[in-house]
Amino acid sequence: MQSTIPHQPDAIRVLTVDDSASMRALLLSALTSRGFKVEQAEDGQEALDWLADHEVDVIITDINMPRLDGFGLIEKLRTSALHADRPILVLTTESSDEKKARARNAGATGWIVKPFDAEKLSTALRRVTH
Amino acid sequence: MSAPSSIPDTSASIKRRNILQGEAYASGDRQLELSTVLGSCVSTCLYDPKARIGGMNHFLLAEPLGHAPKAGYDSDYGLYLMEVLINEMLSLGASKRNLKGRLYGGANINAELAPIGSANAAFARDFLKREGIEQVFEDLEGRHARRIHFRPASGLVRCREVIDETPPREKPLGRPKSALGAVELF
Repeated sequence: MQSTIPHQPDAIRVLTVDDSASMRALLLSALTSRGFKVEQAEDGQEALDWLADHEVDVIITDINMPRLDGFGLIEKLRTSALHADRPILVLTTESSDEKKARARNAGATGWIVKPFDAEKLSTALRRVTH
Repeated sequence: MSAPSSIPDTSASIKRRNILQGEAYASGDRQLELSTVLGSCVSTCLYDPKARIGGMNHFLLAEPLGHAPKAGYDSDYGLYLMEVLINEMLSLGASKRNLKGRLYGGANINAELAPIGSANAAFARDFLKREGIEQVFEDLEGRHARRIHFRPASGLVRCREVIDETPPREKPLGRPKSALGAVELF
């Protein structure tokens, strides 16, 4: 788990879940520079463990990850009392309608295709946490 | 007198696929050979020797975005093509921790221009290092274009310099149309 740069007290807290170190670095830079407070996990299992006793305002997750993938993470969070209503955005290179439908059925809040546009991602984060 | 029919003519059954700039492709097909010609572009050839699955991409980092405050090339698209390649391999049964990487291309063909080939090469090396993927070979930079052939099911690569032919026409792309970062809220 990586902690981040100083932030404003009322900043939106985002947990990003991605097994790619490069993608984590890109998200960290794009989101902290836009005023978000960012926490990061390397896969679904690490996210789940951290979320057992931490709160965030919104979660961004990749799909393809070792141990626990994005679908599994969403399904588990939706059955937990603490995170049943937490906005969860899927950020993925996947473009198949079948996978998108699976994410929606698992309880995802939205679907964003990589490579992401930082401004659009910020807007989506603010919208789902307003 | 004809050759015994029990000896298969393997050369005739090879399937070939050209990988263009902006593409990533993975396969475990033993009859398949992937090819590409690289100027300042870089190809990453990844191979999982346990699953016998390989894949190749072909990218050129985009020119800096007009509104980007920082200098340097826009690596987002290179990162995207790396991730697409890895995800395709994983979906075929490869394992990220088994992957071995070979890097080709990144030539600086026109000495008077900014060394975009070196920028592509540096990005690819950094990516493998950062992702913990072992880089087992590189044939990068220099002044000449390269033609490479990759057999994804065996991981074998042949690479030769292309000196007499016209180098491939490569143009830094803006972000691809598919890369609008489309957001869909359910």
